[in-house]
Amino acid sequence: MGRYLLRRLNLFLATSLVLIGVLFIATSHFPVEQQYALTGIASPTAEQLALGRSEYKLDSNQFRQFLAYTEQRVSGNLGVSITSQKPVIDELIQVLPASFELAIVAGILAMCLGVPLGILASLSKNKITQHTIMAITLTGYSIPVFWLGLTLSLWFGVELGWLPISGRINLLYEIEPVTGFMLIDTLLSQSIYRISAFLDAMQHIVLPAITLAVLPFTVVVRITRSAMLHIMNEPYIRAAEARGLHTGTIVLRHALPNAFIPVLKNMGLMLGTFASYAMIVEVIFSWPGVGSWLVSGIYQRDYTVIQGGVLSVALIIIFFSIFIEVLHNAFNPISRKEIYAAN
Amino acid sequence: MPLLDIRNLTIELDTPRGRVKALERVCLTINPGELHGLVGESGSGRSLLARAILGVPGHNWTVTADRMMWDGQNLMEMSSKQRRNLMGSEIAMIFQDPTSSLDPAISVGSQIIEAMPTNKSLPFWKRGKFKKKTAEKWLHKVGIKNTEKVMESYAWELSEGECQKVMIAMAVANQPRLLIADEPTDSMELSTQAQIFRLLSKLNQLQNVSILLISHELDTLAGWCDQLTVLYCGQVMESGPTAELLKRPFHPYTEALIDNAPDYSGELAHKSMMQTLPGSAPALQHLPIGCRLGPRCPQAQKKCVSQPSLCHKKDRYFACHFPYHNESCNDDTST
Repeated sequence: MGRYLLRRLNLFLATSLVLIGVLFIATSHFPVEQQYALTGIASPTAEQLALGRSEYKLDSNQFRQFLAYTEQRVSGNLGVSITSQKPVIDELIQVLPASFELAIVAGILAMCLGVPLGILASLSKNKITQHTIMAITLTGYSIPVFWLGLTLSLWFGVELGWLPISGRINLLYEIEPVTGFMLIDTLLSQSIYRISAFLDAMQHIVLPAITLAVLPFTVVVRITRSAMLHIMNEPYIRAAEARGLHTGTIVLRHALPNAFIPVLKNMGLMLGTFASYAMIVEVIFSWPGVGSWLVSGIYQRDYTVIQGGVLSVALIIIFFSIFIEVLHNAFNPISRKEIYAAN
Repeated sequence: MPLLDIRNLTIELDTPRGRVKALERVCLTINPGELHGLVGESGSGRSLLARAILGVPGHNWTVTADRMMWDGQNLMEMSSKQRRNLMGSEIAMIFQDPTSSLDPAISVGSQIIEAMPTNKSLPFWKRGKFKKKTAEKWLHKVGIKNTEKVMESYAWELSEGECQKVMIAMAVANQPRLLIADEPTDSMELSTQAQIFRLLSKLNQLQNVSILLISHELDTLAGWCDQLTVLYCGQVMESGPTAELLKRPFHPYTEALIDNAPDYSGELAHKSMMQTLPGSAPALQHLPIGCRLGPRCPQAQKKCVSQPSLCHKKDRYFACHFPYHNESCNDDTST
């Protein structure tokens, strides 16, 4: 297992290096002066110019420049934002938790609703139930997320007026950021309004989370259903029935752990799509996360923000893909067998 | 009173080409404490019969029977929930492929512990430990020495023989009264086969478990079973005490089975043909009418296009119009 983990770590490092290489090449092609694209300082003093040249080794050859670039970016120096002239890393730390909050809530929604519905679809003998569930998931799968987001905010936000359609919390509340997660911060704050602030934050997250959850939800339902249909015909399920176990026990203890394996695998594959959907959702609902931050950076030609955003989002996706693969192997003893055989 | 009494069980399968009678009017009687062998070629419906007795039918089955009594209760009238309660506690089954009959995603130990009976007299926090103790005890009894290691491993880390022993331990831990062993030694080497059979016959003698042993090897079954039932193509050919049946078969199929068993005395000439019945077992879509052995039977006459009913002579049953030894037929189906 140790050797396997080392190999996964190696994969992470190699992919990240390639990513930084691509970013480095792209940066040199930005239609601005290279040092400006690298540091983002709008009107640098003579010392800042000299410091930038020495930091990024702009007088040496391309390879040394790449090494210097890698060193700066890995050590956390992402330059300053061209528009706000504040360090990019500080802005990133502000927006990342918002994105994580949205993604976690959407992911929990998708899993908690998707897995039981998938099981229901696979176990139901009733053709109408099966077809209804499959029709709903197929519709959800094929609806474009931007249209869904706009429609939801139009119905529930504007016409019915039930839920707020933008931001994370009402501007009336002033919440000290501790963890960056609004749902936790509101509870942690000392304000006497913290409960109503928490409820307000809950209301704000409903629409974006539902919009983002639709796609993973449909995928989870479909994968769970097909995996369960396959597994319920396996000999060990028949053997468990022959031992007189109740159907509920069989599903929960024997079928579900086995069905969860392909679900986990597909979640890993879906991560990139999920991230791009999250960006669209953030823009639609003005959610102050990394997606809307990156998109506004692109509109404003904020080259340092573009680099920082792409680097962080891509690194997170790479990390979680590999993490899910490791989890998949930890959950699935059969694939562990293959790893042992490979060594 | 017999433990299991089945009269005229018919299983019909819905196939794309219409309904097929995979089992036709099968009768089977198992007495308490008996080791009953069920011998038949592959495709003769042995596993279907086993699954019908246990109560795990496939989705395209239609099961009909005149009588299907379990210890005085009618199995045909029970709800699926009552059948499920009977499984595991009264009737247990072991399958021919033990490795794939164990869940690959959780360890063998937790599956054994799950199958152990709950001791209701203990407070609930001590029950788990008690179950573990019983599991270890049963593993010991079926002949697994390093119980700790086996319980920690996954099914694919164990050998076929070990997995089958685990399955047997799980099956017998609830003290069933009937154990159905569906080809328990399929794809195992001879020494492991002998171990499994010894284990089963020991269970039969010590715990008084009735066992229905299903196999295609007549000579293996002959060595272990008290009673034999010969199945061909979904029909019962002959049934009776092993010794008598082998000594004086009434049915041409049984006779052929005994004659065709290779004898290893060395008198068989090099490269000579093995003796068999002419032809091969028919496919399910092309079953002959009447006695299904008809086209291959050396004794067949015109009358064989109607299915012979099961005749009974003392404790022997046979279904043939022209039995050897000119037995007179007592029609048993009316009783």
